[in-house]
Amino acid sequence: MLPQLVNPFAWWQWLVLAAVPPAIIALYFLKLKRRPVEVPSTYLWHKSIEDLHVNTVWQRLRRNLLLFLQLLVLLLVLWSVLQPGWQSEKLPGHRFIFLVDNSASMQATDVEPSRLAEAKRQAVDLIDQMESGDVGMVVSFNEAARVEQSFTDNRRQLRRAVDAIQPSVRSTSLAEALKVASGLANPPRISDPENELDFQVAEPQPATLVILSDGKFEEVSGLGLGNLDPVYRPIGSPDARNVGIVTMSVGRHETKSDQLQVFARLQNFSHQPASVTLELLLDQSPIDYDRPEIPAESSRSVAFDLKAIDLGRLHLRARTGDHLARDDEAWVVLHRPRQARVLLVTPGNPYLRIAMDTGMAAEIARVNEVAPAFLDGEQYRQQATIGAYDLVIYDRCQPGEMPRANTLFIGRLPPAGGWETGPEVPKPHVIDIDPAHPLTQWINLTSVVIADGTPLRPPPGGRVLIDSHLGPLLAIAPREGFEDAVLGFVLLDSRKDADGTLRRYLGTDWPRTRNGGFPNFMLNVLQYLGGGQAAAAEGSYRPGQQVPLENPVSGKPLAVRTPGGNVVELAETPSGRFSFTDTMELGIYETAVEGKAVGQFAVSLLDAAESDIATRPDIQIDRVPVQGNAAPEARRLDIWRGLLLGGLAVLLLEWYIYSRRVSM
Amino acid sequence: MSTTAPFLSPELLAKLEKMELVSRKIFRGRMKGERRSRRKGQSVEFADFRSYVPGDDLRFIDWNSYARLERLFLKMFLEEEDLHFYAVIDASPSMDFGEPTKVHYAKQLAAALGFVALVRGDRVKIQALGRSAGLAAPVLRGRRSLWRMLDHLEGLPPGEITSLTDGLKHFCLQNSGKGIVVVISDLMHKDGFEAALRYLLAQDFDIYVVQVLSAEELDPELEGDLRLIDCEDGDVAEVTVTGPLLARYRQTLGALVGSVREFCNRRGITYLLARNQVPVEQLVTGYLRQRGLVR
Repeated sequence: MLPQLVNPFAWWQWLVLAAVPPAIIALYFLKLKRRPVEVPSTYLWHKSIEDLHVNTVWQRLRRNLLLFLQLLVLLLVLWSVLQPGWQSEKLPGHRFIFLVDNSASMQATDVEPSRLAEAKRQAVDLIDQMESGDVGMVVSFNEAARVEQSFTDNRRQLRRAVDAIQPSVRSTSLAEALKVASGLANPPRISDPENELDFQVAEPQPATLVILSDGKFEEVSGLGLGNLDPVYRPIGSPDARNVGIVTMSVGRHETKSDQLQVFARLQNFSHQPASVTLELLLDQSPIDYDRPEIPAESSRSVAFDLKAIDLGRLHLRARTGDHLARDDEAWVVLHRPRQARVLLVTPGNPYLRIAMDTGMAAEIARVNEVAPAFLDGEQYRQQATIGAYDLVIYDRCQPGEMPRANTLFIGRLPPAGGWETGPEVPKPHVIDIDPAHPLTQWINLTSVVIADGTPLRPPPGGRVLIDSHLGPLLAIAPREGFEDAVLGFVLLDSRKDADGTLRRYLGTDWPRTRNGGFPNFMLNVLQYLGGGQAAAAEGSYRPGQQVPLENPVSGKPLAVRTPGGNVVELAETPSGRFSFTDTMELGIYETAVEGKAVGQFAVSLLDAAESDIATRPDIQIDRVPVQGNAAPEARRLDIWRGLLLGGLAVLLLEWYIYSRRVSM
Repeated sequence: MSTTAPFLSPELLAKLEKMELVSRKIFRGRMKGERRSRRKGQSVEFADFRSYVPGDDLRFIDWNSYARLERLFLKMFLEEEDLHFYAVIDASPSMDFGEPTKVHYAKQLAAALGFVALVRGDRVKIQALGRSAGLAAPVLRGRRSLWRMLDHLEGLPPGEITSLTDGLKHFCLQNSGKGIVVVISDLMHKDGFEAALRYLLAQDFDIYVVQVLSAEELDPELEGDLRLIDCEDGDVAEVTVTGPLLARYRQTLGALVGSVREFCNRRGITYLLARNQVPVEQLVTGYLRQRGLVR
């Protein structure tokens, strides 16, 4: 690569400069005036000088070494006047934010040794190219963003911060990282024109945002880039091969309901068909295998019959030979069936009883039905305080105090928790059901008639599950680790007629409607609020997801052993419920109380977005397309400073040699 | 430079009168002198007996042994002969340095040794180095030749600018006889001294080498950036004289002196380094006596 030169002089100035070397040579011969002295013989003097330098060629050179050095100095200075420089890459700007993606897909090995390593290498390269005075900042991001190093001009610190970035198995969200970056680049401002104190908290600081990622994140919108100038550096290849397990679950066998079946879905994200060897292991010993062929860019489901197996740790392993290994494994933990303890407080409701008596419901829940008068008894108070029940259903009644359990209120409001209700309205028509919530799955209220309803106003944090044109009819809200669901209409009510006779009448025809799904709703209630698990299999959690844990021995600390062997102690809580968030490793986590294993749960990647590792050539931020690999702005890497310094060094050398000669 | 100073002071002459040259070799002289010769002949010093052969000089028959043994024996006496003493003075321009000049010093030394030789009736020839110098030099003998010798030394023509080798080669060609040769030179010749001395060795001379160096050469008082010009060939050495260079010079000088001394010692040549500051008297009565040239 030839250096680029800048010509700062006119021709006559060059002529003047060209005259300098001959002048130096002339001066060199003129400069040393030696005093002539006649001596008897120069024999010994010659011998003395010769002893110092045996080689005559060097001796001759040495005679003029000082001259050569002076000419060299001049050359270097002249050369540096031309301001030679190398063509080099440069990022625009003087403030840089390096966003390094460390999500699961960055562990792909389509670039050696891995995408994350490549991203780190590129980041370090860019940091090395920063000029003095430039400042940089390092942020690693996956679902969450983490500032590894705040703004500094210390390149060593920046490099160290980049080196410290560890791979994670979480999914990707650029929005988080952008929030962090833009918070620094676009400082907040109080916008009150009347206010004298309205000033910018800090000067807005334009910065170059270098995104080192494979682009596998959702498009960011609603987040103005402001002063940020994004540069996207795609890491990895768009043709990366990957087959990943994107789903794994355990369910009842379709025909043999007493048996369990493992379902898994594998997706091939490559452009070529893939042949995969699937292995199913129970407690680390193989029990089944399959060899599905998966066509290009499509998915394939596989099922394994577990037959009599109903307990243990299932580990599904795929041998794919692709570029991402983390999604080739998934885990599921099989638990012993656990029945929910349910207290049904009702003045009598055949629909509820029928719904609770189905085979499925009977399997997952043990229902204890009592009359509302039970609520006043000491036994109830005791049971409610110690949390003897998982779920209490209050049908047209309410307790004095809320129990330490999940609750479902039918036609009444919880006495505490900030629930409010509007006036009773006739014939509300259901217009919306939240199908995503477990409570309202598989139900259909479109053709259901409701006699009267009381529109609900759930407390803050609550969620409306069934909405009518007159107001919400089913809502759920959290309460100190429990959840309260309230149904804003009754199934059955009894009212005294004008003649004084007690008459029962239907509050709704939902339980009677063929396709209304009332039994499903009650099953959902038992499963979700009661925690009853018929399938006896706990699904896999996602990395980084919060895992609710329950301590069977309340008042004792709970220890969680991660797949990597680390033990995390969870401090005891009065409710005996914990939430464990440190789920950054894939595999089986074990919980123990005082060294005794009490449970386990699995964390698997199972993330189609992360398994799709084909790098995106460009990304969009706030609907602004950012071209990947945007040609780095060419810059001159000036070397004239080095040349000048070299000249100075030669000058020093000359001085040294001269004084060495003088002192000889 | 005070070349006008007399070569020999009366005190020195008085001392020298009692001395004589000693040669480690016994040489044959041309004339009868005061020295024993290897030749048996007429002297008072008995050497040996041998049987009488008809024709022998009857005066040397040992009649006492004839009386006892009735056989004729001839008594043999050592012949006393003169000794050839040569002094070769390097009178090149390089010797014309120092206070007193090296050449003056050399002449003094030659005069002193020559006087000793003359007093003992030895044959003395003092000459400068050079092709023609030898021819001009007179051969002196006898005490009364002292003034001639001094005159000759006074007017000793400056030697040609010749190398030591050439000079001694010509000396050997011109003087075929044997005897003592004292070479007085600074030995600062760029072609070295070894070949020159080998000519003398080949002639089987009893060789003495006196290297005369001036104080300026032994301890140069130079300083600064200098163009040193060789007074003989005009050769130039550009030096910047500093302490380390002077040290290096002394080292080189020491090496030169050492090499001459070693060369001489190995070949039976007596070597003496003389400073022009040391009086000739001290040199002759002290150092040369120790070296065995005089006694």
